Amino acid sequence: MNFDALIEYITNTPLIWLLITLGSFKIGIIMYEKSNKNTLLQPIIIAYFLIMTALLSTGVSYEKYFKSVEIIHFFLGPATVALALPLYNNLKYIKSLFIPIVITLLVAGVFSITLAVSLLWVLGAELPTILSMTTKSITAPIAIITSEQIGAIPSLAVGFVIITGIIGALLGTTIFRLLNIKHDTSKGFALGVISHGIGTARAIEISEKAAAFSALAMGLSGIVTAIFLPLIIQILQ
Amino acid sequence: MLKGIITLLIFQFFGECISKLFELLVPGPVIGMVLLLIFLIIKKSSFESLDNAVAIHLRYLPLLFIPAAMGIVTQADILAKEFWAISISLVFGTIIALAFCAKFMDYLTNKQENKK
Repeated sequence: MNFDALIEYITNTPLIWLLITLGSFKIGIIMYEKSNKNTLLQPIIIAYFLIMTALLSTGVSYEKYFKSVEIIHFFLGPATVALALPLYNNLKYIKSLFIPIVITLLVAGVFSITLAVSLLWVLGAELPTILSMTTKSITAPIAIITSEQIGAIPSLAVGFVIITGIIGALLGTTIFRLLNIKHDTSKGFALGVISHGIGTARAIEISEKAAAFSALAMGLSGIVTAIFLPLIIQILQ
Repeated sequence: MLKGIITLLIFQFFGECISKLFELLVPGPVIGMVLLLIFLIIKKSSFESLDNAVAIHLRYLPLLFIPAAMGIVTQADILAKEFWAISISLVFGTIIALAFCAKFMDYLTNKQENKK
């Protein structure tokens, strides 16, 4: 028996990190479902901590980890293209409230980014952090590829996206009640614009109409942000 | 499902090509997404194979951002230094933006309904 060859294989094969990543995500899904889909126990949060523990305890570098699981990262591309279908399926709702949708999308989108960026700036954060905050309200696949484009730090950007999603999903219904929001369409739209997919998952619990408007908002704001944000940042620089 | 996967990859490929050719700042896959949306609007319907390919990508969507997300291990110093700025911006930024967005949309919707 050749133990050296075995250890050599185990420490170098990308399979081991692929298995840890897929396995951690599966454990995440199981725990999320066992917890009755508690927003705080998103599968990715659980997977995050499990993989983090594995990385820190083995001392493997992030570069090596990323190379091993790059095949998963590759699928962000087709997954982004795939977002066209739910957007298409909900596009019919755009006609009923065309003007409110377009105006809210632009005004709230600009407001949300400006607010988060100004808060960071006032509190003395540095430029890479500020840039990584600009994509916090769009769906993670688009946020990752857009943050790479604008010179932000993709890992910070994903973290901000997930936390923004969770805050919106946790507090959304309370905020809507306090503010006396009348239409389910407004609730869904706000959840989609600000809290993307995690917000949309919450909108499904409000009503079918809220869910449709949330999915619509998420798709539209992803596209609009990815198109205009890099342009605006280039002009400002 | 293969036809659906090929469709997604072809649209991504065209999107990336257009982005490179015209030196656009928009990421290629987002252009691919817009192209697929236009294609579906013209075609007026999806097809089963595409539905399945899309479903499998979106079902496991969070898994796909783990490789990028784990890069956070290299950002410990930024997180430690700017923890409060980041936390305040995320919490208050999200609450205020969500409240504003819902109220604004509600106001515009009421206005449109009153006109009718």
